[in-house]
Amino acid sequence: MLRRIVEWFFRGESDQWLSILRVGLGVQVLLNLFALRHDWSSFVGGIAHPLLSRDLSEALLSLESSLIPRLGWFVWAGKQAGISEPLILQMCWYFLAALSVLMLVGLFCRASAAGVWFVHLCVVKSGGFLSYGVDALTTTGLFYLMLSPLPDRFSLDHLWCNKPTVDSERLGFWRRVLQLHLCLIYLFSGLTKALGRGWWDGINLWRALIRPPFDLVRPALLVHFRYILPIASIAVVLLELGYPLFIWQPRLRQTWLIGVLLMHIAIGLAMGMYLFALVMIVLNLAAFAPDVLWQGRQRAALSPVVPDSLSVA
Amino acid sequence: MRRKTAYLTWFGFHFALIVAIALHELGSLVAKGLTVIPYPQSREAPRPRQTVSRTQNPAAVNVARQTLVAYLHCAGIEGAYGFFAPNVPENYKIVFEFHYPDGRTEYDLPAVQSDAAVLRLGSLLDKIGRTDSEQLRRILVRMLTAATWEKHPGADSARAVFGMLKLPDPAEFARGVTEDYEFLHAYTFSRLRPADRRN
Repeated sequence: MLRRIVEWFFRGESDQWLSILRVGLGVQVLLNLFALRHDWSSFVGGIAHPLLSRDLSEALLSLESSLIPRLGWFVWAGKQAGISEPLILQMCWYFLAALSVLMLVGLFCRASAAGVWFVHLCVVKSGGFLSYGVDALTTTGLFYLMLSPLPDRFSLDHLWCNKPTVDSERLGFWRRVLQLHLCLIYLFSGLTKALGRGWWDGINLWRALIRPPFDLVRPALLVHFRYILPIASIAVVLLELGYPLFIWQPRLRQTWLIGVLLMHIAIGLAMGMYLFALVMIVLNLAAFAPDVLWQGRQRAALSPVVPDSLSVA
Repeated sequence: MRRKTAYLTWFGFHFALIVAIALHELGSLVAKGLTVIPYPQSREAPRPRQTVSRTQNPAAVNVARQTLVAYLHCAGIEGAYGFFAPNVPENYKIVFEFHYPDGRTEYDLPAVQSDAAVLRLGSLLDKIGRTDSEQLRRILVRMLTAATWEKHPGADSARAVFGMLKLPDPAEFARGVTEDYEFLHAYTFSRLRPADRRN
């Protein structure tokens, strides 16, 4: 039994999923940064025009744990070097952007992934009250990416520097972790929705769609199609509840994955939650798409990767 | 094999934390009566928390607790996954009135420049509306007021009115019913006095 569990977790795996995760999260962090470019000081609570003081978020963080990373650490270090707080906070934006680009192209993969995770975490934690679900999901994705066996075969580290990619068993383990985490996300999200009365009669979907600032679709149009709302609403609950079961069934995997991807695309377009949709799509594609959407190429990619210098030897 | 066992041990620990947090959140939603599961609301006052440490070394426990909490935040697993569940939360809104010495009053809203920041502002208003701490709510509203006050430098006092938008259901909307604004809290702040008072 234990051997079967170990075999299931450490099944040899291609690194395609890791490439998707690295590139996808790189794009996600960059888009998030550029989306907040004009509101950066409001978000991180700098001295100039803060919406909320960073001190408050960080004081509350300290009540939970003084070990949680935060921008205050950068500010403190900057002050020791004689750099002002607004400049440090602005430098954090450029630093995170530069690290994200490195991670996106796959240069110094491990270090850049760890750097993006750390600075992103500091920003999100210091942003405190202004953060929402997308930040935690991005943090989780970056946490797994940082721990995964980088570099992958599509990174510049491998293509230019001939850094060898690591064993496929570890790739398999980290992909399983991501897959199982997604299953838990959808299971609990679906279960909690199923316990709300409004998800069975479509009222919650209606409220979600007309609630500012998600009200991109005109309510008059929604009322016109109001009989579809309960069906769409129940479909969302069933898609999420069924995900941990049916994503593992070879015959249903493709259907379920495409269904979930379409759900996130619809959320992104209808509610303006583009970044939330993107991070969920990236996580889903990395976790399950290499087996489902391009199954044929997966087998070829399973062959061990050997750097050119070693293969010549 | 030893390395694989170490990986699996970490996995068990990590996922036990995710499940525990999700179940705790689910349990608290049921206990608050927010789900379809009937739950008798206790009329007894909650018991005071045990404040006396039963351990030999409270400092070590505190370090362990802080480390665990930091790990949860670092992994992004400190919260549960109930997006818009079990029900879509109420929609909150804040409006500022800025009063000038000559008797004029100007109205304003918290301003951000990008759509991404608008989503984050909505998240902040949700947190202000849902918090049980009146003190925290007052501090957050004061900070939002101060940020908007910069656009009204001549004003000597400001009033922040926090309310909830009651949205119509589809049938009501079809009958022409529109959204309704329900007053929840109001706070008055003065430039001259650092202290604020609640209305």
